[in-house]
Order: sequence, then C-alpha cells, then structure tokens
Amino acid sequence: MNSYMLALVAVTGGVTILLRAMPFILFGSGKQPPAVIGYIGRVLSPAAIAMLVVYCMGVYAESRMTAEHMFGAAELIAAAVVVLLQLWRRNPLLSIIAGTAIYMVLVQCVM
Amino acid sequence: MRFSPVVRRAFISSLPVMMGYLAMGFAAGVLLAAHSGISMPAVWGATTSATSISGALQFMIVDWARMQTPLMQVALLTLCLNIRYAMYGLSLIGKFKNITWWKKLYLIWSLTDETYALEVAEKESSHNDSIRYCLTLAALNHLYWIAGVTSGAVAGMALPFSDKGIDFAMTALFIVILTDQCREAQNRIPAAIGGFAAIIAFLIFGSQNMLIPAMIIMITAFVVARPKLDAKREAKVNE
Repeated sequence: MNSYMLALVAVTGGVTILLRAMPFILFGSGKQPPAVIGYIGRVLSPAAIAMLVVYCMGVYAESRMTAEHMFGAAELIAAAVVVLLQLWRRNPLLSIIAGTAIYMVLVQCVM
Repeated sequence: MRFSPVVRRAFISSLPVMMGYLAMGFAAGVLLAAHSGISMPAVWGATTSATSISGALQFMIVDWARMQTPLMQVALLTLCLNIRYAMYGLSLIGKFKNITWWKKLYLIWSLTDETYALEVAEKESSHNDSIRYCLTLAALNHLYWIAGVTSGAVAGMALPFSDKGIDFAMTALFIVILTDQCREAQNRIPAAIGGFAAIIAFLIFGSQNMLIPAMIIMITAFVVARPKLDAKREAKVNE
C-alpha cells in the first residue's frame, strides 16, 4: 500500500470538503460573513490560477530554455493557441485538447 | 424502469456536465497513469476523484504524487486553489435547510463549480423536489467525474502512442480558466498580482519551491491593496 498516496487523498479531500462546508458551519445560523472574507475569496481565485500558469511555464522554462529546444518555442506556441482558441470558441475542451495535441506534435517531431 | 419527472429533469440538465467531466476526467486520469509514477493508478484515480471531486486539483495531484510534495504544502495549495468553494455555500444555506444530516453532508461534499451553478439555478416547485433534484444531479455529476478519471487512468497504462508532452494538458487547463476569468474586468488586477507574485517567487526560489512564497506575497499585496481593490468593485456595483 502506498502510504503517501493515502495521506494525499486524506489531505486534498479533507481540505476541499472543509472549504465546501465552511459557510454552513460558520453562517448556517444566519450570521452575516465579514466583508474581508468575501474580498479575499474573490481576489484569490484568479490570482491562484495565474500563479499556477506561471508555475507550469516555470517548470518548462527550467528544463527547456535551451537552443536545442528553441528556447521554449513549443510551450509559447501551444500556450498562444490555447488562449486564442478559448477567446474565439469559448470551448474549454477544444482549447485544451487542441493545445495539448499541438504541443505533443511539436516536442515529439520538431523541437 | 420509470423515473420520476424530477429525476429526469436532473438527468437532462446533467448532460452537458457529463461531456465535460468524462473528457476532462479522462485527461487527468491518463496523466496520472503516465506521469505520476505510482502503481495502481486506476485505484488512486478512483479514490482521489471520488473524495475531492475537483478538476484543477486532480491535475495537481499528478505532480504531487510524482514529487512526493510535503503534505503541508499540499494542504496550503489545495486551500488556495479551492477557496472559491467556501463562497458557494453562502448562496445555498437557505435551500439546504431542514433536511436529513446525511443528505446535507452529501450535497455539501459534492459541490463542484458545475453542480453549484445548476443547483443555484434550479426552480423546482417544492422544497422536497428541490432537494431530490439537487441530490440526483450531485450524484450523477460525481459519478461522471469518477468514471472519467478512472477510465483515463486505465487507458493511460497502455497508450497506443508516445505520451511525451501530454503533461501540457494541465498547463492548458489553467490557461483556459485564466482566460475565462480575465473576461471579467474585476478579475484582471487580482490575476496580474497573482502572476507577478509568482514570477518574483519563481525567479528567487525556482519552480519547486515557489508556490508558498508566491502565496505569501500575493496575500500580503491583497491585504495592503484592499482599500483600493475593494472600493473599485463597490463603485462598479453602484454604477
């Protein structure tokens, strides 16, 4: 049995469920939530996603910013395709599948 | 077999979610089998998808499993990634009142972005029907997600082509979410602050140690900038 995976399930599941239950635990009796909670929740969601985009691109930057890999051109091209497709068609699945497919072709066949 | 009209309505409104969850879950499952390096990916795919039911988290779990990321860091990241869930319940407190505790627990546990959106929008004629509709919808969406991730993990163990580069699916998912969030003007400055904090943390600490410092930087920035950012939003609402 993989004990790290068990702990991972417990931590990710536990934190997520606790977050979902938070409003019912704190404000179930009709109390008003303080404004600062609403504010942090509102601004943190887009900020955390932007951080994860930087993180993902950073992982690529560390291993693929070399002449051999054309300084990360595959990542930049695929990322641009995802943004443009999403702006144009607004279909998350299409954007993700097309972007990933283009990236796989680029890293396997070109750079 | 015949289903009641309420159950049928819940099933019909779950259909778009089914397409999304099966496909997205499948991608996350393939990644888990191909990139996490764990044994029995199908079992862990089923377990993780059943317990947390969370898209972005499902992709992060692949990285965490591979790198055996410290659990404290996992907890903090899960908190930031899913903090929006803590807002959802606020608009459902009234609807979920006066029902059996285990039904309430399940409705809370199963509250994903898509399930939330449909539950807030539902307009059944009685409280009983409302709860039945929500329970059916939540269980269906939950099943779609588990089925997607688990079948992806099974398929990922024997891909008929090279999977090199398939890890970009996670990057693409985050880019898609960010693109959609930036359609709303009020999200752009917070996203820019988050991205800027992450770049600073990346340059100083490198990708493997950047997330906690990045979160500290951005939360500090948000607390400091609150008079400005919050006021701006209120001005917009009052317009």
